[in-house]
Amino acid sequence: MIKAINLQKSVPVADGTLEILRGISFEIKRGETAAIVGASGSGKSTLLGLLAGLDTASQGDVEIDGQPLIALDEDARAALRGEKVGFVFQSFQLLPALTALENVMLPLELAGQSGALQRARDYLERVGLGARLDHYPTMLSGGEQQRVAIARAFAASPAILFADEPTGNLDTNTGNKIIELLFELNQSEGTTLVLVTHDERLAARCRRRFLMDSGTLEEAS
Amino acid sequence: MAARSSMSPLVLLLRDWRGGELGVLLAALLLAVSVVVGISAFVSSLQSALVSESKQFLAADSVVRSGRALPVEWRQRAVSEGLATAVTLGFPSMAMTDQDELYLASIKAVTEGYPLRGQLRFSREPYGQVTSTGAIPAPGEAWLAPRLFALLKVAPGDRVWVGDKPLTITGTVRSEPDATSASFGYGPRLLMNLDDIPATGVIQPGSRVTWRLLLGGEDAVLQEFAEWLRPQLIQGQRIQGVEDGQPTIARTLDRAQGFLLLAGSLGVVLAAAAIALAARRFSVRHTDHVAVMKSLGSSRQQIARLYGGSLLLLGLLATCLGWALGWLIQAVFFRLFAEQLGVAPGQVGYEPFLIGGATALVCLGFFAWPPLERRARVPPMRVLRREVDADQGQRRGDYARGAISVFGLMWWYSGDLKLTGSVVAGLLLTVGLGFLLAQLLLGSGRALGSAAGSVWRLGLANLRRRSSANALQMVIFAIAIMLMLVLVIIRTALIEQWQAQLPEGTPNHFMLNIAPGDQDPLASFLQNQGIEPQPQFPMTRGRIMAVNGTVLAEDRSSGEERRQREANFTHSAELPAANILLEGTWWSVDTAEEVVSLEQEFARGVGAELGDVLTIRVGADEFEARVASIRESDWQSMKPNFFVIFPPAMLERFPKTYLTSFFLPPEEKALLNSLLKQFPTVTVIELDIVIGEVRTIVERVGQAIELVLAVILLAGALVLVAGVQASVDIRLRESALLRAMGAGRGLLLGSLVIEFAVLGGFAGLLAVLGAEVAAWALQTQALDLDYQATPLVWPLGIVAGVLVIGVLGLLSCRRAVVVPPLVVLREV
Ligand SMILES: Nc1ncnc2c1ncn2[C@@H]1O[C@H](COP(=O)(O)OP(=O)(O)OP(=O)(O)O)[C@@H](O)[C@H]1O
Ligand SMILES: [Mg+2]
Repeated sequence: MIKAINLQKSVPVADGTLEILRGISFEIKRGETAAIVGASGSGKSTLLGLLAGLDTASQGDVEIDGQPLIALDEDARAALRGEKVGFVFQSFQLLPALTALENVMLPLELAGQSGALQRARDYLERVGLGARLDHYPTMLSGGEQQRVAIARAFAASPAILFADEPTGNLDTNTGNKIIELLFELNQSEGTTLVLVTHDERLAARCRRRFLMDSGTLEEAS
Repeated sequence: MAARSSMSPLVLLLRDWRGGELGVLLAALLLAVSVVVGISAFVSSLQSALVSESKQFLAADSVVRSGRALPVEWRQRAVSEGLATAVTLGFPSMAMTDQDELYLASIKAVTEGYPLRGQLRFSREPYGQVTSTGAIPAPGEAWLAPRLFALLKVAPGDRVWVGDKPLTITGTVRSEPDATSASFGYGPRLLMNLDDIPATGVIQPGSRVTWRLLLGGEDAVLQEFAEWLRPQLIQGQRIQGVEDGQPTIARTLDRAQGFLLLAGSLGVVLAAAAIALAARRFSVRHTDHVAVMKSLGSSRQQIARLYGGSLLLLGLLATCLGWALGWLIQAVFFRLFAEQLGVAPGQVGYEPFLIGGATALVCLGFFAWPPLERRARVPPMRVLRREVDADQGQRRGDYARGAISVFGLMWWYSGDLKLTGSVVAGLLLTVGLGFLLAQLLLGSGRALGSAAGSVWRLGLANLRRRSSANALQMVIFAIAIMLMLVLVIIRTALIEQWQAQLPEGTPNHFMLNIAPGDQDPLASFLQNQGIEPQPQFPMTRGRIMAVNGTVLAEDRSSGEERRQREANFTHSAELPAANILLEGTWWSVDTAEEVVSLEQEFARGVGAELGDVLTIRVGADEFEARVASIRESDWQSMKPNFFVIFPPAMLERFPKTYLTSFFLPPEEKALLNSLLKQFPTVTVIELDIVIGEVRTIVERVGQAIELVLAVILLAGALVLVAGVQASVDIRLRESALLRAMGAGRGLLLGSLVIEFAVLGGFAGLLAVLGAEVAAWALQTQALDLDYQATPLVWPLGIVAGVLVIGVLGLLSCRRAVVVPPLVVLREV
């Protein structure tokens, strides 16, 4: 499903180049759940961005469903994401000008799917926000915003869901609820889940755990 | 599997309306389009009204006039080139009835097709029902002017003789389009068919007749025909077209159009600035939007299409609304000037709408699109790392392209590269100078702020932080206010100084043609009515024939600048009041020299200089006189003035009438009736009416300029709102932080008031400075007035600046104070 082959990422900085990722290889199968943990600044978000094709690697390649990303240009990668990939972010990334419902409808509309309205409403109901459809992000609490983001991610039925610290901005209780929701949807939809987290409980729920340490990745047994 | 987006631009627009920038964008576009459409529609409507009117005066698009029969080939050639033609022949001739009644009529013989433009109205009975059928009198028939029926004692059906040809009277001529240009003398009209002319036998070689070949058709064909014809014309033949019919109107109109459109394009420039600002903020706000959409699978192309589509939609909306609004503006202008112009609105044509559409396209394409287009390149990684830079330079290129495109637009509006260039250069200079001054003022504000309390410090700190943006805004407002002030100064100065020159009791009526015998009775008549008699000036009509023995050309058509001039001569022993001697000396009281004094313009017209000897004709008498002096006369003084003055002895032997002036208060106008009853030969000129008319014209022109200024001010307001909007996010965050730290609303509001009021006050100050300079230049250099200080504009300008900018600024960022800080801090 997802395959990283000797992934490297370096960026030019004031005094030479900074190597963020130093050759990472692994494979995650369909329907699996994986957690990436590691210290702040170790390169987790950078790796996630490369896996999702948001950025390009300096060396090495990513394959999604057997499709090497290196062969695709930015637009083709975007199209691939539109079809197969969903996201949940630490800072929610809802569009402030759109209501909860409109935010969830956005990826469906972008993909040109019909029945976006009904589908978006269904998913918001499933995350328990059926009564808040027309509310703007500023009118929602952090946990509610993250639930909208999850509804948005799952509404397009992605094969893979990437989440970058989905509970990082939430209190323990709310975080737990969000975790439940993620795994529940993973179960019912068969979505492959790749999480970046500091949260031990969240990592423990995943079938596979990886540890990121200054640009190298190791799988914990 | 290119995902097709179902998210339409319209949906994006509707959802994003709440952001506020789209409102500014739309308003600015609307303003630009409607101003341009309004002004150019007004001008083109006026132009076509004037052109069609002057075509009616000719009864054709173009006319060939000749004193002798026109060669047949000319008409044949015109017909073969597809022009419509008709021929008229005019001459005075006796009309005679079977009862031997005689009257000198002004005969006009016409061919089928006359008139080519305008209408010939006729009725069967002398004052019967009027129709215009397009018919002309058939051979053997004649139509008479109503009063000719009475003069000849005839009725329809009777016969009237023109030379040897009897004609049956079948109708009455009620009006002809070309009555003025084609009539011969003032005799009543007799209209007949040109085919009957040979049978009359009245046209002999050498008869005083006017042949006219009327031509109608496309401008290009007419032009070609005129070029073919011109070399063949001989003495006494010429081509008349609309252009030479009214050269002064055409030129004035051109200048007015240029001025209006350039003034309007100032509005467009400002609107473009507002558009650029609003689009920039719109695109900045959409950075995250685009990054999220990309992470969700949108391609660059989709995003570009989405934003491009929204802009086009917005442009379309603004263009349609702008067309309608522009048309309204045009109608308002026409109402304003209907009386002065004396014409009905003509056709507008499609060009103004084209220009409006192009303006919208340029504004969108060069000012709104570049920042949005860059937005499509936002890297999607931004969703994971906010620091990822979203902006990709090229700002300078945008500005350069924008400036060039606006220059191109202005050039198109005015159709005059030099004019556009000088206006743009003047504008750049003003803005540049103003910008420097504004920076200076802001710098002084900084010093002031650090000395004052915390409210002031906060407000002035805000001004200083955005100092170049603020300086620019200050200049924009200063220019708008300055133009308004200049208008106020000039208008009051014009009217006031004029009135100052006409002190209470200045004569407001002139009387001409006073017979020598009426001189004393008239003076005592006025005295009896309590009106102070003014000096009476003798007047003798004469003509300057030659200068130093060189005979001058007879009339204007010769194309020479120097020509014979007819004028009213007067004689005087002393230099009259309101005259200044420029060259030479004034003669002694009892001089017997043969000398003359000329007014300077008049001297230039005949080409005479000091010491030249003029040949002068009065009646049948010719004599000579040496130019002893050249004078300047003050025509604005409303006192009797003369071009040509002789010593009394020289004009003694000629018949003369007298001219005088007097003051009549408005409530005693009825006196004129009894005056005219007693002295029927006297002509009265009511100057008070002229003075009134001049005042209305000054007022109307002022109103038109005010209208254009209002547009500029509105555009300036849009720029301010767009500018404040650009800073509103930061302001919100800052004010929330300040309030979280315990600052009260009063403090924040106070600092905002201070910020905008100081900005406005500085703008007003700049405006007043600029206005004084401009008004001084206009008054002393262009209008020939004395500079008058107008202290009133100082408080006026500054208060206007404080109020306008203060209120607008506060309104556009009131959210920063009103919204609870928690909401702001929680905003994503
Ligand atoms: N484009 C870039 N330019 C410079 N440095 C970068 C760039 N991208 C990432 N980095 C650096 O690479 C390192 C890894 O960044 P990354 O965001 O992947 O860390 P992270 O593991 O997600 O940390 P956190 O847990 O705090 O989110 C950081 O030190 C970051 O500053
Ligand atoms: Mg991270």
